[in-house]
Amino acid sequence: MNVSTIMNASPVTISVTETFGNALRLMEERRVHALPVVDAAGVYKGTFDFADIWKTLLPKAALLGMDSLTDLSFVSDAQEILREKLAGAGSRPVSEFLDRRVEPVHPDTPVKEAILLFYRLDEDIPVVERGTNRLAGIVTPWEILNALRD
Amino acid sequence: MIAAVVFIAVYALVISEKINRAILALLGAGLMILCGVLTQEAAIRGVDFNTIGLLLGMMVIVAITGKSGVFQYVAIWSAKKVNAQPVGVMIMLSLVTAVFSALLDNVTTVLLIVPVTLLITEELKVKPYPYLLAEILCSNIGGTATLIGDPPNIMIGSAVGIPFNDFVIHLTPVVLVILLATVAVFYFVWGKELVTTEEARRRVMSFEAREAIKDWRLLRQSLSVLAAVIAGFVLAHSMHLEPATIAMFGAALLLLLDNYHRPADEQTHNVHNAFSEAEWVTLIFFLGLFILVHGLESAGVIRWMAQQLLSATGGDFAVTAIAILWGSAILSAFIDNIPFVATMIPLIKSMAPTFGGEQALMPLWWALSLGACLGGNGTLIGASANLVVAGISERAGQPIRFLQFLKSSFLLMLMSIAISHVYIYFRYL
Repeated sequence: MNVSTIMNASPVTISVTETFGNALRLMEERRVHALPVVDAAGVYKGTFDFADIWKTLLPKAALLGMDSLTDLSFVSDAQEILREKLAGAGSRPVSEFLDRRVEPVHPDTPVKEAILLFYRLDEDIPVVERGTNRLAGIVTPWEILNALRD
Repeated sequence: MIAAVVFIAVYALVISEKINRAILALLGAGLMILCGVLTQEAAIRGVDFNTIGLLLGMMVIVAITGKSGVFQYVAIWSAKKVNAQPVGVMIMLSLVTAVFSALLDNVTTVLLIVPVTLLITEELKVKPYPYLLAEILCSNIGGTATLIGDPPNIMIGSAVGIPFNDFVIHLTPVVLVILLATVAVFYFVWGKELVTTEEARRRVMSFEAREAIKDWRLLRQSLSVLAAVIAGFVLAHSMHLEPATIAMFGAALLLLLDNYHRPADEQTHNVHNAFSEAEWVTLIFFLGLFILVHGLESAGVIRWMAQQLLSATGGDFAVTAIAILWGSAILSAFIDNIPFVATMIPLIKSMAPTFGGEQALMPLWWALSLGACLGGNGTLIGASANLVVAGISERAGQPIRFLQFLKSSFLLMLMSIAISHVYIYFRYL
C-alpha cells in the first residue's frame, strides 16, 4: 500500500496569485485546515494553513526560532490590534506566507512513512509527482483511517 | 619556525571565517604536537584551565538562571519604570544590558534581552535599530568592567593572577564614565526620532512583569547561587582560591538544587540540557588556542615579537601602554579579540624585566583589557555579541547592515578608547 492508493486526488487548492483573505474564506467554506498552493501549471508551491494565520497575529519576537520569547503570558491582550492585524493581512498574496514545514511525499511513498510524518508533525501531507513536482493529491489523517477501517 | 607557520596559518583562516574557529584551533594544536613543537604533556600544561573552568561554570549557571524568566522580568520592569517612553526605554535597556554583561557573559545577556526589546519596540511602533545598537555597545562596555564580564578579562585575570576586586577598582570607574558618555550620545542623537502614541505606551504599561517569571523556586535558587558566586569572586583572592573553583562549585550547587528532588531520568535530561547550553565551540576554541600560543611561546616567537614591539616604542613605558591600548582596539574591531589577547598575554609578560618587574606591568594589562574589550564595538564583526544580535535581528526582518553599523559604532568605539587613554594617562603614567 502506498499513498497513491489512499490519497485524495482532487483536493481543494489555491492559486499562488490569490490573497490571504481569499485563502481564509476558502478554508472556512470547504472546512479544511490546510490548502496546497499551486501555480498555473499545477506545480506545488507550499501549503497555506492555520500556522500562517497565527504567524500574522504574533509579535516578531515570538517567531525567532531558537531565540524566541518562550511565552507571552505577561503581554496585555488588545483585541483591536489583533483584529487590525488580521484585516491588514487580507490583501497580501498567499505567496508571502508559504512555509514548507511538511516536505511533500511522492505517490509511491509507503503509507507507513505518511503515518510517521503525521505522528511527528500532525499536518496534512501534499503528494507531488516525481520530477515535475505537480500536485497529485493530499493525504489527511482521515484518508489513512478510512482506508484501514472499511 | 614550524610553530610560527602553523600559528599564522590558523590565525589567517580564523580571520577569513571560512572554517569554524574551533576546528582550526584544534587542528593547529594537533599540528603543534604532531610536528614536535610540543609534547602532549607540554600542550596540556599550556592550557589555562582556570579560564576554561570559569567560562564553563558561568555558562551553566546562566543557562539554568535564564529558564526562570528573570531577564524578561527585569527588562519589562525597567521599561515600565520609565513609563514606556521610547527614549527612556532605550536608556534603561542599555543600562540593564551593561549590568548583566558585567556579571554574565555578553552573548547570553543579549540573547535574553533582544527578544524582549523587539517585543517592546513592536508594541511602541518604533524602529528597533537604535535600541539594538545601544544594547550591543553597552553589552561590550559592561563586559569590560569586571573579571568575569568578557573573555579577554577572564584570560588576563587568570594568566596574571589579578583578583576580581582589582578589576573593579581599576576598570569599573572608567567603564562607568564610558557607559554614561555612550548613553548620552544615544539620548541626543536618537532621542528625538523616537516617538510613540499614548495608546501604544499604555499597552506596554499593561504588561505584567511578574507573569514573565516562569519558575519562582528556580528563580530564588539561581539568584542565591549567583549572588554567592559573585561574593565568592570578591573574597576568592584573600581565601587563596581561583575563580574557576568558585564558578564550577556554584554550577554544581545550582545543578544539585535544581535536580535533587527529580526522578533519575528527568535529572539526566535536565543536566544534559544545562551542559549542552554551554558554548562548547568557544570552549574548544580556547583549548586549542592555549596550546597554539604555548607552542609559539616555547619556540621563542613570542619573546621575539615582544622585542619588536619594544624597539618600536623605544622601550618607553608610557608609549608602550598607549600603543597597546589603541593597537588592541583597532585590531579587535576587525579580528576576534580572544586569539589576540591570548597572544598578547605572554608577550606582555615577557616585558617584565625591561620595565622593572611584574608589578610594574599592571597599567599594560588595563590597557590591553580596555583596548581588546571595547575594540569589539568597532564593527559588526568585532565581538560575538554583535553577531548574535545581528542574527536575531535579521530573522525578525530587521537586518543590521555592516556599514550602517560601522558609521555609528566605530566613532563611539573611538570615543571610548579616547576616554580610556585619558584615564590611563592620568591614573598610571
